[in-house]
Amino acid sequence: MKDIRLLVVDDEENIRILFKEELEDEGYIVDVAASGEEAIEKIKENHFDLIILDIKMPGMDGITVLNKIKNMNKEQPVILCSAYGEFRQDFSSWVSDAYVVKSADLHELKETIKNLLHL
Amino acid sequence: MKSIDLLGKVIEISHSNLEITSRIKSIVNIIAKELECEEVTLYTLDRDKRLTCRFKNNKSILFGILNQYRCHIGEGVIGSVAQRRAPQFYSKHDIPPRFGCLFYPELDGILERYKTFAFLPVSDDSYIYGVLVLGSSTIETLHEDEKIILSILSREIGGIFRSYDLILSSTKRISELVTLTELGKILSSNVEPYDLLKNIALIVARAMNAAFVSIRIEKSVLALETERFTYGTMDPAVERYIAPLEEKCVHLKKSISLEDYAEKVVEDKFSGFFMYVSPIISKNRILGTLLMGGEKSQPGMANEEDAAYLIDTIARYLSTGLETTLLNIRLRDVLRELGDAQKRLVEQEKFRSLGEMTASIAHEIKNPLAIIGGFTKRLANKANKDGVEWRYIDIIVKEVSRLETILNELLNYVKDVPIANDMCMINECIDEVIYLFAPDAAWENIHFVREYDTTLPPTRCDVQQIKQVFINILMNSFEAMAGKGTITIKTGQTYYREKPYVTISITDTGGGIEPAIIDNIFNPFFTTKERGTGLGLAISNKIVMNHGGHIEVNNNVGKGVTFVVYLPIKNNIM
Repeated sequence: MKDIRLLVVDDEENIRILFKEELEDEGYIVDVAASGEEAIEKIKENHFDLIILDIKMPGMDGITVLNKIKNMNKEQPVILCSAYGEFRQDFSSWVSDAYVVKSADLHELKETIKNLLHL
Repeated sequence: MKSIDLLGKVIEISHSNLEITSRIKSIVNIIAKELECEEVTLYTLDRDKRLTCRFKNNKSILFGILNQYRCHIGEGVIGSVAQRRAPQFYSKHDIPPRFGCLFYPELDGILERYKTFAFLPVSDDSYIYGVLVLGSSTIETLHEDEKIILSILSREIGGIFRSYDLILSSTKRISELVTLTELGKILSSNVEPYDLLKNIALIVARAMNAAFVSIRIEKSVLALETERFTYGTMDPAVERYIAPLEEKCVHLKKSISLEDYAEKVVEDKFSGFFMYVSPIISKNRILGTLLMGGEKSQPGMANEEDAAYLIDTIARYLSTGLETTLLNIRLRDVLRELGDAQKRLVEQEKFRSLGEMTASIAHEIKNPLAIIGGFTKRLANKANKDGVEWRYIDIIVKEVSRLETILNELLNYVKDVPIANDMCMINECIDEVIYLFAPDAAWENIHFVREYDTTLPPTRCDVQQIKQVFINILMNSFEAMAGKGTITIKTGQTYYREKPYVTISITDTGGGIEPAIIDNIFNPFFTTKERGTGLGLAISNKIVMNHGGHIEVNNNVGKGVTFVVYLPIKNNIM
C-alpha cells in the first residue's frame, strides 16, 4: 500500500493522540493540527489524502475550516467528526464527504475512511 | 262601669302573648259572661270570600248548626253585615227566620228561645275579617252603651286579625327573602353547575315544603350531560304530565299549572295533586323551567296561590342570576384551561433550558468518554486476553459504551426534532412495527392480538416517530411480561374535548404497574429495568405530545397495563 497521509484536526490533545495512534496502527501516515488555523497552514504546505475535522473548536470552527479547504481544493476529501450529531442537519456541513459522530468506538470512522479512499 | 271592665279585660287579652285562637276564644267567652249572652259566635272570612263560623263561647248551642253552612258575602243577615260593614241588632219580634238565610233549616224552632241578637262586623278601616254574632234569651234589648261597647270590641277583634295577617305576611316575606338570599348566595358561589342546580332545587323545595321540585335547563345553555335537576319524587299518577307541562310552559313562555294544562280531564283523577311550572327566561330566551308539585293535602306545604307566586318570583330571580352564573362558570373553566396552558408553557420553557444545559453537559462528557473508551480499547489490544487485566478492561469498555448510549438517547430526548408531515395509515404502521419483532426469537412467546378499526381515516403524523412510540411501548410490554404473554392492540376513533382522535390501545399481560410509581413512568430517567435508560416512555410521551396528542395509562394491577395513544385526526400543529 502506498503511503496515505491523513490530517487529524482537533483541539483536544488526547483525541489527537488517540486518533493518530489508532490510525497509524491501520497503516496510515497521520499528522495532527490543534486548531483550524494550524490545519489551514499545514494543508497549504502539504498534501493530505483525507482530513478528519472536529467542528467545535476555539478560534476557527470546523465548518469554517471545511469551507476554506473546499474553496482551496474542491476534491479534497474531508470527514467531519464531532461529538454533536446535530450539525448533520446544518446544511453547511453537507459539503463534507462524510459525517461521523465521535465515539470511543472508532470502527465507524475507520470504515468511513476506507470507503472514501476506495480501499 | 261594667262595660269599662269588659273593655279592659278584652284589651288585656287581645294584647297578650297568647296564640290567636286562644285569644279569640277567651274574648268570646268573656263577652258571653259579661253581657249575659248564651251565644257568642264569630264568623271569619276565608280566602274564597265565604264566611265560616269558627269560634264560639263554651255554652254555645247554635255553633253546631251555624258551622254547617258557609255563607257568601251579602247572603243572609251575616253576609249582609259583612258586606255593609254595619252592625244589625234584633229584638225578639224582628229576628229574621233562619237569619234570613235558606240554608239553616235546623234553626227553625230554636231562634224563638232568644229575645235578642246582635251582628257586628269584625273589621278595621280597610278590611273585613268576619262577623261577631251574639244571642241572649234573657236580655230584652241591648242598651245603646252596650251597642257602642260591642262595636269597640268587634273593632278590637278586627285589630287582632289584622295584626295576625301582618305577621303572617311579613313572615312569608321574610321566608321569601331568606330563600332569595340563599339562592343569591348559591348563584354567586363557585360551585360546579351540577351542584349549583341541585342546590337550587333543594332550596326551592325547602322554601315551599314541596314534595317535588325540578329544574330543567335547555341543552344549549349548559354543556352538561344532565339537563334536569330534581329534588324529591312525584307521584306516578301525575309524573307523566311533567314533561308536557314544561313543554307547554316553554311554548307559552308563561307560568301554568296542571289544571291549566289538563283542565277538566284531570280534575277528578288528579284533584289531590298540583303542579306549577314557571319559565326561566333571560333576554327573551328560554333558559329552562322551574317546576314544583306535590299532594295538595301535604301538611305544611305552601298553599297553591303562595306557591305559584313564590315559584314565579324565584324563576324571575333565577333568570337574571343563572345566565350570569353559568357564564361565570364557563369563564372560570376557560381561565383554568388558560392557566394550565400557561403552566405547561412555563414547564416547557423550564424543560427547554434544562434540556439545553443537559445537552451541553452531555457533549462535554462525550469527548473525554471517547478518549477513555478509545485508549481502553488500545489497552485491550495490548493486554493478555487470559489475564485478569483484560477482563477489567473489557468491563470499562462495556460501561463506556453504555454511557455513550445513555448520552445519545438523552440528546435525542432533549433536542427538538422536527415532525415530518406524513399521511399515515395507523393499522399498517402497527403491522410494520410488529413485523420488525416477529422474526426475533426472543419474541416467539409473545402472542399478538390485533383488533383494528378498519374504517380508520389516514392520520397526519411523523411515521418514523410514531413507529418509535409503538416500538417503545411494545418493548416495555415485552419487558413487563418477561418475554411471555399476550399483547392486544386495538385501534379506534373517539372524541376528546370535542375533537376527533385516532386511538391505539396496547394492552399487555405483564401484571400492571405498581400504583406507587405510576406517576413517574413518563419522567425521564425513571426506570425499573436493570439496564434501561428510563427514556423510552419519556421520549414516546414527548413525541405524542408534539403531535398534539397524549398517552393514557390504564393500570390493572395484577393483570396488565393498557397504554392508549391518542392522535388527533386533524392536526393543526403540523
